[in-house]
Amino acid sequence: MRVQQLNRDLGDRRRDQPDPLAALLVGDKRSWDHFVRRYAALIVAAVRGVAAASGDVEDLAQEVFVRLCKDDFRLLRTYDSTRASLSTWMTIVARSTARDALRRRRPDSVPIDAVPESHLKVDAVEPTPKLKLPEALLSPRQREILGMLYDKEMDVAEIAAALGIDPQTVRSAHHKAMLKLRAHFKSDS
Amino acid sequence: MRANGTSGERPPELPDREIWRRSQEIEAPIDEAEQLLDLAALADNRLDDDETQRLAALIARDTDAAGDVAAARLLADATIDDADPNVIARALLAGEDQLEAEVIAFPAGRVVVRPFYSAASWSGLAAAMVLAGWFGFSLGSGLPGVTPAGHAPDEAAANELFDPAPPLILRDFSESSQI
Repeated sequence: MRVQQLNRDLGDRRRDQPDPLAALLVGDKRSWDHFVRRYAALIVAAVRGVAAASGDVEDLAQEVFVRLCKDDFRLLRTYDSTRASLSTWMTIVARSTARDALRRRRPDSVPIDAVPESHLKVDAVEPTPKLKLPEALLSPRQREILGMLYDKEMDVAEIAAALGIDPQTVRSAHHKAMLKLRAHFKSDS
Repeated sequence: MRANGTSGERPPELPDREIWRRSQEIEAPIDEAEQLLDLAALADNRLDDDETQRLAALIARDTDAAGDVAAARLLADATIDDADPNVIARALLAGEDQLEAEVIAFPAGRVVVRPFYSAASWSGLAAAMVLAGWFGFSLGSGLPGVTPAGHAPDEAAANELFDPAPPLILRDFSESSQI
């Protein structure tokens, strides 16, 4: 089965077509059956890339389906067809879910006396620094422009000259960046 | 866009500068659903330049996310085999559990008020309160702080042992009546 065909069938519907997920999300059992038969192969293929052993694939695929329909299809409801095709989103979801499931599994236990002391040494692990808001929300270019404007007190002409871009591009980047930051603070409050 | 800029730009409004300052002090929230959509959009090349650069910077720090995007792009052009019937059968059951689940309400039963039980429960409560009060009083009166000032608890106990309370004075009225 070609994955592109899946996109045509469900993910990339035309405006005049009914939303194929809508029926599923209101509890139509036949839509779930249709959905599973359409996407099971893709989910298995996606999970196979993450699974350490081939025997895990079936269980991990099941984890994906369980996650999709958990809490009244909460995750499936977050899919937005205007942003990505359903098959691509499903692949990302499947791999992420499978990875989480593998991490949750308890490793085989071994008596501590059976382990050589040299193996018990644990390397120091530096904590991963968490992202600050601009790193998560803005592009490097947007961050750079805001930093020049507000931290280095440069004006638009100076920034445009420094970056070798049009002043209008600087204004546009500033505007877009501020919209994102404002939207975050608005939703946060 | 400096406050007193040389380029004739409108000076920046204070909120913009303040928002930028505050944003640098806040840790980014983790919105997994949003992140999944972002990665899918990146894999589908549906992002503008800014968003593409933003996501590229993020996945440069996250090898798992980079692998997910690469795998999604590979699979988009792949021909995949049909899934094992076992996988499909189990997945169908997972959905059925969700679709057929419903809230079962307990039948609303009539509340029967029986006077005897009501009186008994109130009496029991009152008795328990009296008992608890008496018990608390008994315990409290044995506390060191309750003994008279200037007497140690041990001393008070010894006094009680060796110097009991004044005895009852018994008089023989019959004898005096004889006199």
